[in-house]
Amino acid sequence: MESMQPSVHSLVELLETIADNKYVLGDRLVEVGVSGPNLEATLAAIAMAQGELGHARLLYNWCFDLRGVKGKKPEIYGQSGKALASAVNVHNWITLIAALYTVNTAIDAVLQSALQANHPAVVSKIQKLVREQQDHIVYAKNWAQQLIHDQGAVPHRFRQALNAAANEAAAWLKDVEDKKELQQEGYLPNGVQLVERLQQELKAVAAEPFVQLK
Amino acid sequence: MTAAQQRKTFDIFARVKRGDQLTHIGTVEAENEELAKVYASYTYDEEDWAEMVVVDRSELVWVRKPKWLFA
Repeated sequence: MESMQPSVHSLVELLETIADNKYVLGDRLVEVGVSGPNLEATLAAIAMAQGELGHARLLYNWCFDLRGVKGKKPEIYGQSGKALASAVNVHNWITLIAALYTVNTAIDAVLQSALQANHPAVVSKIQKLVREQQDHIVYAKNWAQQLIHDQGAVPHRFRQALNAAANEAAAWLKDVEDKKELQQEGYLPNGVQLVERLQQELKAVAAEPFVQLK
Repeated sequence: MTAAQQRKTFDIFARVKRGDQLTHIGTVEAENEELAKVYASYTYDEEDWAEMVVVDRSELVWVRKPKWLFA
């Protein structure tokens, strides 16, 4: 394995975190999504699982290339341990939607910023992924809006799940913002505001601020 | 779920290639247009459609409407 520049090392770490989250979300979309509230939501969840796993494979393979792995790419048998706990711990429809919405919105904030930075080595790799991901976010956002206006204990439980996922995603985004080498190398724009972007997007579901970073 | 009471039927029309007939290919039930679009594109993905539209069935304007046989 070749020695890597700090900026490439940070890029690999960022891509692997995104890949891990997509790998786990793909798995959870099958496990939990198959018991969705209606036929259409279930079919879409299974189709999106394929999409998420495909995105994960693309990103893992890109990481292998950046690490200088030659020849046939190794098989992926599990995430590398960087997935957010809110995605790993998905166990029902409420936590699935909370994780799918916040994690994909956070990933979208990073990738949209990367597209803005317009680094030639990055743009061509992520353009299609970003486009395909929009349907996943629309799906999760609409289901989030339904759950938050549902009856009984559902809205409260969903708010709890969303708040936990949003805080965790925001902490990760803050970490990415603080990696100045990503901005210096032009992978992300200078002074990128990822947490702010996430907060703005989450307002589509409820007006109150979900993300309260300590 | 309250949302289940608000589901509407959307008819889906698509054409495989430019110039083909716009054909009715099926329906989805969804809570709103955004979800109907997502459901339609994931459910009816057997072709690489050149064009696909969803139409809220209640928005159809009938020119001729047959009486149902067993209504």
